[in-house]
Amino acid sequence: MATENNPISFAVYAKDYVPVPPKDAQVLTTACEYCTVACGYKVYRWPVGKEGGVRAGDNALKADLPAGGVMVPWASPSQHNVVRYQGKPHHVLVIPDFAATVVNPGGDHSIRGGTLAQKCYNPENRTSERLLYPMMRVRGTLMPVSWDLATEAMADISKYVLEKYGEHAWGIKMYSYQYFENTYAITKLGMTSIGTPSIAPHDKCSNTNDATGLDDAGVDSFAASYEDWGMAEVCFFSGVDPYETKTTLFTEWIMHGKTPDKKCIFVTPHMTTGVAWGVKNGGIWLPIIPGTDTILHNALARVIIENKWQDQEFIDKWIANSWEVDSGYGRGTRNTGWQWRTTWGTWQSDWGDYQKFILGRDEHKLENAAKITGCKAEDIRRAAELIAKPRPNGARPKTSFMLEKGNYWSNNYMNTTSLSALGLICGAGNRPGRMISRGGGHQRGMVSAGGGPWWMDPEKYPGRRKKSFNLDRWMVDGKLKFAWVFGTTWFAAMMASQELQDAAFRMTRANPHQIGSLDRKAIFETLKARVDSGGMVFVDSDIYPVEPLGTQIADIVLPAATWGEEDFTRCNSERRLRLYSKFYDPPGEAKPDWWAVQKFAHKMGFSSYDWKNSNDVFEEAARFSRGGVLNYHPLAVKAKEMGVKGHELLRTYGTTGIQTPIRVRDGELVGTQRLHDPTNNWGEMEAAEVQSPFMHAFSTHSGKAILLKSPWDFPGWIQFYEAVKPRTAKGEIWVTNGRINETWQSGFDDLRKPYLAQRWPYPMLIVNPADATKRGVESGDFVQVYNDTVYVQTGQPQGVLDADLNFNNLMKEGHIKTTTGQFVAVAIVSDEMREGVAMANFNYPQAPANSVCHAVPDPVTNNYRYKLGRGVLTKVGESPYKKSFTSMSLKPRNII
Amino acid sequence: MNAITIQAHDDNGAGRQCVSRRAFLLSSGAIVSLAGLGIPGLVDAAGTPLQALRATYPRQRIGKLSALAKGKPVHFKYPYPSVDNILVKLGAPAGGGIGVELDVVAFNLQCTHMGGPLHGSYKEAHQMLGPCPLHLTTFDLTRHGMVVAGHGTESLPQIVLEVAGDDIHAVGVMGLIYGYAHNVTGSRRG
Repeated sequence: MATENNPISFAVYAKDYVPVPPKDAQVLTTACEYCTVACGYKVYRWPVGKEGGVRAGDNALKADLPAGGVMVPWASPSQHNVVRYQGKPHHVLVIPDFAATVVNPGGDHSIRGGTLAQKCYNPENRTSERLLYPMMRVRGTLMPVSWDLATEAMADISKYVLEKYGEHAWGIKMYSYQYFENTYAITKLGMTSIGTPSIAPHDKCSNTNDATGLDDAGVDSFAASYEDWGMAEVCFFSGVDPYETKTTLFTEWIMHGKTPDKKCIFVTPHMTTGVAWGVKNGGIWLPIIPGTDTILHNALARVIIENKWQDQEFIDKWIANSWEVDSGYGRGTRNTGWQWRTTWGTWQSDWGDYQKFILGRDEHKLENAAKITGCKAEDIRRAAELIAKPRPNGARPKTSFMLEKGNYWSNNYMNTTSLSALGLICGAGNRPGRMISRGGGHQRGMVSAGGGPWWMDPEKYPGRRKKSFNLDRWMVDGKLKFAWVFGTTWFAAMMASQELQDAAFRMTRANPHQIGSLDRKAIFETLKARVDSGGMVFVDSDIYPVEPLGTQIADIVLPAATWGEEDFTRCNSERRLRLYSKFYDPPGEAKPDWWAVQKFAHKMGFSSYDWKNSNDVFEEAARFSRGGVLNYHPLAVKAKEMGVKGHELLRTYGTTGIQTPIRVRDGELVGTQRLHDPTNNWGEMEAAEVQSPFMHAFSTHSGKAILLKSPWDFPGWIQFYEAVKPRTAKGEIWVTNGRINETWQSGFDDLRKPYLAQRWPYPMLIVNPADATKRGVESGDFVQVYNDTVYVQTGQPQGVLDADLNFNNLMKEGHIKTTTGQFVAVAIVSDEMREGVAMANFNYPQAPANSVCHAVPDPVTNNYRYKLGRGVLTKVGESPYKKSFTSMSLKPRNII
Repeated sequence: MNAITIQAHDDNGAGRQCVSRRAFLLSSGAIVSLAGLGIPGLVDAAGTPLQALRATYPRQRIGKLSALAKGKPVHFKYPYPSVDNILVKLGAPAGGGIGVELDVVAFNLQCTHMGGPLHGSYKEAHQMLGPCPLHLTTFDLTRHGMVVAGHGTESLPQIVLEVAGDDIHAVGVMGLIYGYAHNVTGSRRG
């Protein structure tokens, strides 16, 4: 019978109880560790041995239990754990703040945040895999060492590398979001004390911007507030379904907010849950062929211009004319990341020139655009009507534009320039409910100490301008001798992942010089011989053993203390700053990364690393946030005036926090709801605040936004695109990648949480039935994706002439090599995917989908085109999940 | 607090012996406005004395195998008169399924995310419940009520079934029912 055919592959048996917090349980506020929305949470903590009663007066929830009704204060079993606090076992409930009025009103939450309690260290479950003490790899095996020896060994070899090979050879690969205290400390070390240009964030090969076209247009990526999405009457979602990746932003502010009957347009090859909801509610799904968004945006602009649906009043007031584009040393195209002389005229325009560009090109005609993008002409036309056509009463629709990685990680510069122009002609960008913003991925946790020697970058654009440093290429080329990695997989997150990890392995474990004893001098001699023989040294700071960086490659592994184990701060995607309270003891000798940096800095002999606690770092970093969108300096100043710690003042703001940049009025701290809004112009400053022009005007020299043209045949794009398209003769299809709602990032926590590990025990590949049938693939089968031609840029090519950094020239000059890449995933066959496109989990080390993507960055911005993988799908066999009743649902996501 | 409107439909009136005020509202096709916390009037427990918990799960006859039609859920209350569940023949074998084809299962109808009512949301083609009208969570009834997409931090509580001849008995619950700290006092742990 069925039971014999249905293996118990992974089973977690559901509990039917959860402890009740007694009324004297301590309550601390925090925010979610995961996605960019950062819902407010409360932690209830009480010693083991006690429990509250079921009457409201007898428990800390102040609720009668069972609580009848919906949306009541309730904790599920996944929201409970037992942790150590001050050395003694304590119950904790980590539950959404049911009293919240911002971000997640009423205690809405995602499945990721809803299981935060399960991330806390508890030796009874898979969190027992946490790194507990520093370790050093001795002939392949990690052995425990002291913090002193680990950091002394790091300092010994660092000094040698800096002396012999220079600052370039000493690098950092770091998260850009894991709290102000850590990012400030790490960048202070790398940029200020060491002074190296070899630093790259977790999501990029170089220290460049994300949505670069928005930046060049003068639009800040996080200008909007959640209230704006709630107020919009029409939302245009480019390369994103916020339901999957920004859950509460969708379930509270898109589905509800001030305009719950809004119309949503989704541009994505994957009909996920939010897309299905949008279509059911009168919206549109534009199932785009990967990489063709620019054409779609320009075709929409053409329909709008042909019908005169543009917001002329807004354009006349807020779009820069040609003189304003050229003016000063502001943010005009000539002073952006792309060299001005070589592109003069390619991108920049004013309203008149932009219209000529849009109307003058055949590929922008509806029928041609439909063919290139794979979207129906009538759907494109209807989308243009929704976003721009004045309503029968003459009112313009309030339209907001959200973009995320499906947009800017397939054609970084042109998808963002073209979207910003489309949004601007619809009158979006600086007013309530009418904004252009990223949805956001991770939270905004970077305060950079700055001062990095970027003039030392070996790369350059044609002309004179320096290009941001490509750390991946530098490492593969053997130029990096020492790398300290903070909280990222590095390889799985970047392109051609298997090629990257091969290089790292070759220069560490495959090098003959392996540490053989824990004698400090012997360690130094070994590592010195290593770096002098073409090898390198890796240090990995993380909370878990990272596959393969921590488990196979790193010479030194350092245990980090994380969320809940230290007081930390950061902002979410509406720039809302909150304190993330410490509520339990970190495991073993795990320390926050700022502490590890300080320990190393002392061993290096660097001065001014004298922090006693994370609040000291927070207060020191405050002045480095001035002038930026995360400016919290006024809070630090006010705390000092009040004689309290900065963290403690922020703690009083609870889960509401305060939106940066922070200002002061009548002695009180005031947040900034949205950027670029002219009503933010208050005139005189009254305290130590910064009234940056971007707060009340666009981020350009003139304060007016710049319309940018995005020609489809730009050689820096089209040559690459033609090279990476799936080759139908080989049977290839597009293999794109992304996140889904139930897991966060690499799954470092979620795959260790019992409930979520049961839901997603193995990475998936969603395949359209037509593509699956041709290949004999069914839901639940293991499938290999293989790309026999993965392009990898080599060396640090220098641009001299205009065409030098375009794909065909790089190939001709020997700067492109080809390699291969593959991964295996469990197939889910569903018509939620567009035919010809499969979608895999992004950044799972056990199934690195980025292996089939090309490591050739956008020559304009140095960002990879992460979403443009391809491959041949081959059935490997049946996975145990095909027939299991206990793990991995294979059902579709678009059931509404 | 946002007001949330729920439109609920009935699957099937059969098996509804005891219609609580909530079940009535949810099954009558009414549009129910829920304004924030507490929601007085929607729930029979609100404002009434606390429900006394049972010490153990009762054994309760809830239907007959021969009376079930594929894809047509039957409603029943268990383990308390205020707790709505469905008994359904999926037409595909399922974890915890009974009957010759192991395809008869029973599940609680309150979403494990924030308690939204799943009444009338059974999707026969996919053996799924949902989407929840509050935030769109869906559940896979072939896999013990696992979340397919959405926010519930637990699977939908599954009613444990036993067969005696043609009779179907509910004998327990796997998973904590929304709003409860313990389904029964016997399961209580410290």
